[in-house]
Amino acid sequence: MLRLKEVEKAYGVAANPIPVLKGISFSIENGSFCAILGPSGSGKSTLLNIIGLLDHPDRGEVLLGDNAVNFASAEETARLRNRLLGFVFQSFQLLPRLRAWENVALPLLYRGIPKADRRPKALALLDRVGLGHRADHLPSELSGGQCQRVALARALIGDPQLILADEPTGSLDSGTSLEMMDLLKDLSRRLAVTIVMVTHDRQLAERCDRRIELLDGQVIADTVAM
Amino acid sequence: MTQRAPATSGIPLAEIIGEAFANLRVQGRRSALALLGILIGTASIVALLNIGHIAQLETLKLFRHLGVDTVQLQATPTGEMPPGFDPDVVAQLPARDPDVLRAVPIITGRASISAGRQTTDAGIVGMPPAFAATVGLAPRLGRLFRPIDNCSPVALVGKGTAEKLSAPGAELLPGAAIIVGNYGFTVIGILMPTALEAINPSDYNESVIVPLACSRRVVAGGVPNIVLAKLRPTADPDIVGQRLSAMLANPRSAIQVISARTYIKTMNAQKAVHSRMLAAVGAISLLVGGIGVMNVMLMGVMERRREIGLRAAIGATPRDLRTMFIVESATLAVAGGLFGALLGLLATYFVARSSGWTFSIAYYVLPLGTGVAGLVGLIFGLYPAITASRLKPIEALRAE
Repeated sequence: MLRLKEVEKAYGVAANPIPVLKGISFSIENGSFCAILGPSGSGKSTLLNIIGLLDHPDRGEVLLGDNAVNFASAEETARLRNRLLGFVFQSFQLLPRLRAWENVALPLLYRGIPKADRRPKALALLDRVGLGHRADHLPSELSGGQCQRVALARALIGDPQLILADEPTGSLDSGTSLEMMDLLKDLSRRLAVTIVMVTHDRQLAERCDRRIELLDGQVIADTVAM
Repeated sequence: MTQRAPATSGIPLAEIIGEAFANLRVQGRRSALALLGILIGTASIVALLNIGHIAQLETLKLFRHLGVDTVQLQATPTGEMPPGFDPDVVAQLPARDPDVLRAVPIITGRASISAGRQTTDAGIVGMPPAFAATVGLAPRLGRLFRPIDNCSPVALVGKGTAEKLSAPGAELLPGAAIIVGNYGFTVIGILMPTALEAINPSDYNESVIVPLACSRRVVAGGVPNIVLAKLRPTADPDIVGQRLSAMLANPRSAIQVISARTYIKTMNAQKAVHSRMLAAVGAISLLVGGIGVMNVMLMGVMERRREIGLRAAIGATPRDLRTMFIVESATLAVAGGLFGALLGLLATYFVARSSGWTFSIAYYVLPLGTGVAGLVGLIFGLYPAITASRLKPIEALRAE
């Protein structure tokens, strides 16, 4: 379970802070597919960065499972990101010189898993997202949709509890977007992994189990789908 | 600030280095340019050390036969009288001075020499018969002196002199009779060419060598004008030289003391000027090279912000990121160092060849040169690596 308690964050200089998040609290059950929705400037990216342990809140707590995250230690948050989280980005963020399977296997490198053990695991994940036959291709040889699948496989390889997707369909055409959404949803069901997706696209958000809407750094609506 | 947490990830170094190579290959030409400074720096340092090594060997060669613990005392005339030393005083030197192991009297002079119709002017060296082998003389034809030869009119002829005394079709051979001054000598050996050593009393190639006792007749004065004193290795050659000079003093002669050590010292002082210049070139090149490495690495960090952000997102600790970039810059520098070391050796090879020295490699310079280059890479890679580890992942990921 992911829980936020009164999370506040402001940017700008100390003398003149610009509040971005003004006391956000919610919790997300394991295995749910949740959308965080809001116009640009609503604070949704900042929220995602805090949930993803890439940025620290000024006040408040983030709990993964039962433990509050210690943001003071960069080593600790890096370890938690590696063990518990998976990221999917709008622009895929695949390393261009690595083959598909090497991109997928990258998180395991930071667990100290030897290369010989990384490859079979990466291949299995690529199979799962339907790209087993593309394992040895470079990202430049793959379509946008295929790249995002590789990125998804990379997010999944560490058996995370939580996948954070930042506009995962933002770079894809509408048909591929829908396929991606179905894939995400299917994975959340089958693997019981929590997915938090940030988007500004209301129609995509409709397809999620739950929608948390942000405006000006505050939760203005929290809807659970039927 | 990051804490010194226990190692959370155990990425094998081999994999980090493998990645470093892959990353450097991608940067290609730019990496190669950064190498240039390191390359030149290492090359000059390796060349410096190796030339020093070769020069050292060459210097020692100058004393191969007499050793570095030898002092030469040479008498030069002060007036009309021929200079020289009292043979009895020379013979007593080892007994009178505890630092002297052995004192060899030598007579040198010049005389007109003829064999058949061939006549030439050559140096005459009179030495104790047993001393010929000690100074490295070796017969090409015939033999050296035997102890019994001390009072016989026999002669060894140096290579150059032998050629001058040979007529076309009538080479000078052992057994031939030659006239030295007004005295007849029998040639018993023609010598192999000998390298010129620093404190040889004469160039043996252009001399006729006769037993000391016989040389008294053919050289003016007839007393030794050179003493070669072998010293105890612990003795100070300058001090002992002055002492011996005082014992041998006489009004006919001004005494010049030449010690091997002094000779080496003078040569080293000359060499030090070159060394300092090369060292300065090496140090400056390494500094410039280091800055080049830093520059390339900083550019790499800026260009790879997204990669850094991604790696941070999937679990790279700040330390992992630092390690990655430090290993890259060290790898870059070590590669430059390796090529530089080879280049430095190549340069030494040509210097040695053009100076007529024997080329040889002081093997310690290879790891040393490469190691210094690697160290430069480490030091100058530190700043870019820290920069990389401090990037904010989110901002890094958004970079275009």
